[in-house]
Amino acid sequence: MWFKRAGVLQTPILLSGIVAIVALIGAFGSPTVSRVATLALIAVIFVCGLSTFSGNSGVMSFGHVAFMAIGAYTAAYLTIPVKLKAALFPDMPDALSFLVRIHAPLPVAVFIGGLMAIVFSVLTAPVVARLSGLQSGIATLALLLIVYNVLGSWTAVTRGSSSMVGIPQRTTAWNALAFAIAAVAIAWLYRRSRSGLQLQASREDYWAAVAAGIEVGRHRAYAWMLGAGLCGAAGALYAGLLTSFNINGFFLSATFAFVVMIVAGGYLSLSGAVLGAVLISALQEVLRRFQDGQFTGGSPLPAGVADLVLALILLIILIKAPQGLMGVRELRIPSPRAVTLPRRPSKPSPAPATP
Amino acid sequence: MIVEFLIGAAGLGALYALLTIGVSLLFGILGLMNFAYGEIIMAAGFALYLFRDQPWLLAAGMAILFGCAVSVLSERLAFHSLRNADPVTLMIASFAVSLALQSLARMSVLPKAQGVPPQNWLTRQLSVFGVEVSILNLVMLVLCGATLTGVALLIGRTTLGIQLRAAAENFQMAENLGVKGNRAVAAAFGIVGVLAGIGAVVLVARQGAVSAEMGLQPMLIGIIGAVLGGMSSLRGAALGGFLLGATTSLLETVLPSDLITFRDAILFTLLIGVLVIRPQGLLSGSKVRVS
Repeated sequence: MWFKRAGVLQTPILLSGIVAIVALIGAFGSPTVSRVATLALIAVIFVCGLSTFSGNSGVMSFGHVAFMAIGAYTAAYLTIPVKLKAALFPDMPDALSFLVRIHAPLPVAVFIGGLMAIVFSVLTAPVVARLSGLQSGIATLALLLIVYNVLGSWTAVTRGSSSMVGIPQRTTAWNALAFAIAAVAIAWLYRRSRSGLQLQASREDYWAAVAAGIEVGRHRAYAWMLGAGLCGAAGALYAGLLTSFNINGFFLSATFAFVVMIVAGGYLSLSGAVLGAVLISALQEVLRRFQDGQFTGGSPLPAGVADLVLALILLIILIKAPQGLMGVRELRIPSPRAVTLPRRPSKPSPAPATP
Repeated sequence: MIVEFLIGAAGLGALYALLTIGVSLLFGILGLMNFAYGEIIMAAGFALYLFRDQPWLLAAGMAILFGCAVSVLSERLAFHSLRNADPVTLMIASFAVSLALQSLARMSVLPKAQGVPPQNWLTRQLSVFGVEVSILNLVMLVLCGATLTGVALLIGRTTLGIQLRAAAENFQMAENLGVKGNRAVAAAFGIVGVLAGIGAVVLVARQGAVSAEMGLQPMLIGIIGAVLGGMSSLRGAALGGFLLGATTSLLETVLPSDLITFRDAILFTLLIGVLVIRPQGLLSGSKVRVS
């Protein structure tokens, strides 16, 4: 069967199949279902970016939502009709007034959103290249807080804490599917690339990788930039789906939701990240309906139930199965001959802190 | 003017130092960077709201009690099962605990922010040698200073302190030598609860309100201060917190008003700078220890 002979392509093909099913559900479902499915596809694109960095390097990042915010704001500047923009940004400083005049269709905005995120990631790459473990976690969190603070306070340019409104709804299940498949392919190509393999080596044993001549910092920086681009694209699509968004949507609770996805699926594996994104997106929708009272006879539960359940699920996963659903495995068709080969259990440890 | 600024800066520095050692104490012993610290403070703040009509001392005592209870419970229910996990897993777990506590609060007792009017005597100004000083700043300085001294004595001079330091140095070895590890860890969480309670008393008096989200800012302060000072030396952490408070106070005074909203961005940029130049912290040796 051509499918099995495709070898290393099995995983991206299977993952594309899964996202295609999600898109089909979205394209033919009710408006609510369609919206949830499209959000799930955007989450897939985001976790592909997050997994490109965290999965390969073993360094957890809490900062990728900042790239998503940058992508979303870029898309807003590019796609809001020019007339409306002039009314939305009366105090735009002269140096940035070109933002009011430019206009582009959504697919272009997605590319430019990714590009802007990459520009920001180039600025921050030296930090990420140098730090490991906990320090890196804190530094990426600090990045998120900086972006949150600047976007939330620079009222003349970003509308500050007021919502960004009037973005035309151009994101559909189909164009989200196209970008999701592209994101899976990019993440997979990087994972199999020379740089990706070297980064994975540093994840398994930092000092051995350094001793083998791998420039861990450089490869971390590459993965950081590539992941940033994907997350920026996800942000642009997100803006095009929601038509209005607020800076508070790109803060700790969003970060938390994506961390749950990637940890539930198994953050060392791309399949785990994608499956986690799809499953947790579905779970979030079920929880939201539960909270609204659709399963309890119409009486809504107090706000916060969904978050509480999500937090408890994450805790249980961390305690019972810290490797997540997939561990370090990737999705493949089990072949009769390969089953007899026992897979050696490997337990990757996070890279020790560089002194 | 200068004296007033100095007392304000020292008070804020002492408060930040207090918040910081609450984070770095647990990091030293368990490798836990505790994001749920803010929610412990929130629980203590809720006690202040609940007992707002009672005498101030009773309310403060209840705040400390609530902080202790939530802190120790979070250890029993969540962190206990993750004793040997790596720091990043622990950090993600504390993220989950933080969100769980926050949504519990939002569901039950604090769906929206509640005002806690500060005590009358706290809002007055005191004239010392012809200088107007706010009593709140003085109380903040004295209370936090006293607590810091207390913690220093507890860690340095008591049997419990020696056990905690031993557990921080090498948990397994300390247990083999007869330190009751579980009891020491529970005690550490208890101390963190007390610190959070006292922090909450000062914070609520400053802000005049409690809400489910009130823990975010103090938690970030604690973590940043701990990272600045050196993740696992208590003295370094306290100094880091103090520096952070004093710098914040200074930035608030010297920054032009249109830049003041970007204060956090400036602080976090400084933090990243410190991390890049000295990942082990400004004031810490490379060795990991609590003393």
